[in-house]
Amino acid sequence: MREIQLSLNQTQKIRLQKALQKLESLHSKVNSDASVTVADTIPISLEDSILKGHGTAERNGEVVATVCGVVERVNMLVYVRSLRSRFKPEIGDIIVGRVVEVAQKRWKLEINFNQDAVLMLSSMNLPDGIQRRRTAVDELNMRNVFEENDVICAEVRNFQNDGSLQLQARSQKYGKLEKGQLLTVPPYLVKRQKQHFHHLVQYGVDLILGCNGFIWVGEHCDARDTVAEEQLNNTEEQNIKSTRVSENVPLETRRNICRVANAVRVLSTLGFSLTLEVILEAFNLSSTLNLGIDEMLVSEFHVW
Amino acid sequence: MVGLSVGEKHFIQGGINQNLRSDGRKRDTYRPIFVETGVIPQANGSARIRMGATEVIASVKAELGRPSALQPDKGKVAIFVDCSPVAEPTFEGRGGEDLSTELSVALQRCLLGGKSGAGAGIDLSSLVVAEGKICWDLYIDGLVVSSDGNLLDALGAAIKAALSNTGIPRVHVTAAASGDEQPEVDISDEEFLQFDTSEVPVIVTLTKVGRHYIVDATSEEESQMSSAISVSINRKGHICGLTKRGGAGIDPSVISDMISVAQYISEQLINKLDSEISAAEADEDES
Repeated sequence: MREIQLSLNQTQKIRLQKALQKLESLHSKVNSDASVTVADTIPISLEDSILKGHGTAERNGEVVATVCGVVERVNMLVYVRSLRSRFKPEIGDIIVGRVVEVAQKRWKLEINFNQDAVLMLSSMNLPDGIQRRRTAVDELNMRNVFEENDVICAEVRNFQNDGSLQLQARSQKYGKLEKGQLLTVPPYLVKRQKQHFHHLVQYGVDLILGCNGFIWVGEHCDARDTVAEEQLNNTEEQNIKSTRVSENVPLETRRNICRVANAVRVLSTLGFSLTLEVILEAFNLSSTLNLGIDEMLVSEFHVW
Repeated sequence: MVGLSVGEKHFIQGGINQNLRSDGRKRDTYRPIFVETGVIPQANGSARIRMGATEVIASVKAELGRPSALQPDKGKVAIFVDCSPVAEPTFEGRGGEDLSTELSVALQRCLLGGKSGAGAGIDLSSLVVAEGKICWDLYIDGLVVSSDGNLLDALGAAIKAALSNTGIPRVHVTAAASGDEQPEVDISDEEFLQFDTSEVPVIVTLTKVGRHYIVDATSEEESQMSSAISVSINRKGHICGLTKRGGAGIDPSVISDMISVAQYISEQLINKLDSEISAAEADEDES
């Protein structure tokens, strides 16, 4: 097991060891022979013609693994999927990113990837909701929609030629995220699932698990009403924007937001995959204790 | 340091107003502090302190030297801080120099007192070997490994831990000399004097955001600050040094209020630090 970046005193170390052993014993039955480390030979039957995929190499007539991971076989393709890798985006992924640049007809977002993602102006709903050609006036008003350092939620539309992502935010559930906090976790902890937008009704908290490792925890916002808001003229629009943002998050919601955020932090430190169930379990467990992260180390006893 | 959107800034400020910060702490709570001593075996004393994501290392090296003519009965202590590029890419080359100088000066002011040596947190007269001739020079170096706010407090705590881990070799003056000659000394390799750190002060930094002060700010919260006051307080509750940072001016009554809050917090911090340091030393002795 990799080194966990926590300083634990003796008793906590012992508890962590016991919990890890418990986890391993539960999982040891499942595909232990499929995991390989570097230079392990991958067992193949010599009759089939095998396509050697990522993470494999041929050496002395044998197929060996070049990365540590799990062997996957798809028809004739054999490849090694590494456990801890950089974020590998796919079309349709939900991404949470931060605007770093407002460029011509597009926004550039930072998404914890090796290149910035691009959100074209034409991939955003216009404020007045009409589908029309973007004019020069729309370009000049781009800053009214998203500014630098704004946190945005969007979906991957396709890849561009140089490998960077193109995003789209056409649906009502995408858009600017306010009234909350952004957490960064290693991207391989967020697996692809059916639902990435979670609205925790009983706590009034929005939880968005971005596939790139950015997780947004914030107060619940109903579907963006940017349409209604921007139909007013400029001065009124400024007032409404500032009042909407500066309304304080109520204390109870804030407590829930902080507790969910701490649950995510602890789970990511311990290396658990982040799914809604695990986060809620950690949340409920911590509700019976205090909120300090030290006490939340008890969640290591959680076997999922 | 990444920027913050308007919504996030409001969230942080709102949290501070409501006494519930982003990670659930109250305004006057420190992040968990982890202390490790003896991390640098070649130094006379060293310590590594981690407060949340902020990590600093402090080391103490002692060398024999001459005391200054103005204060022949006191040793000398020099404090330097280096911000490693590991902490922030902007610290590469000369980028971290501003911050390093600022931290070094603030630490000197908080721990060493003024030029005349008055009001020093560290007792310099315990460092003298032969008055006027030989004294110990302590070189205290701080290294910022990872920066997530509140560097001054972490460095102050690391220096305190490093000093309590410091062993100064015992020196026997073998030949008495007259006039300007240097007496011969015999530095023992076996016996060490542990430095007395019960009087060393800790540094408490109060960051003012809006109308409230918070202790132990993360770098996100520090980006929202209007001003910050760092007070170094010793066990008796006396103030050994005071530094103000930040562009906004503060009303004097607010400063007195902040100082009394800092005094209150420093008691808990001193107790916590002392217990962590002794636990760390016990761990080190075992291993």
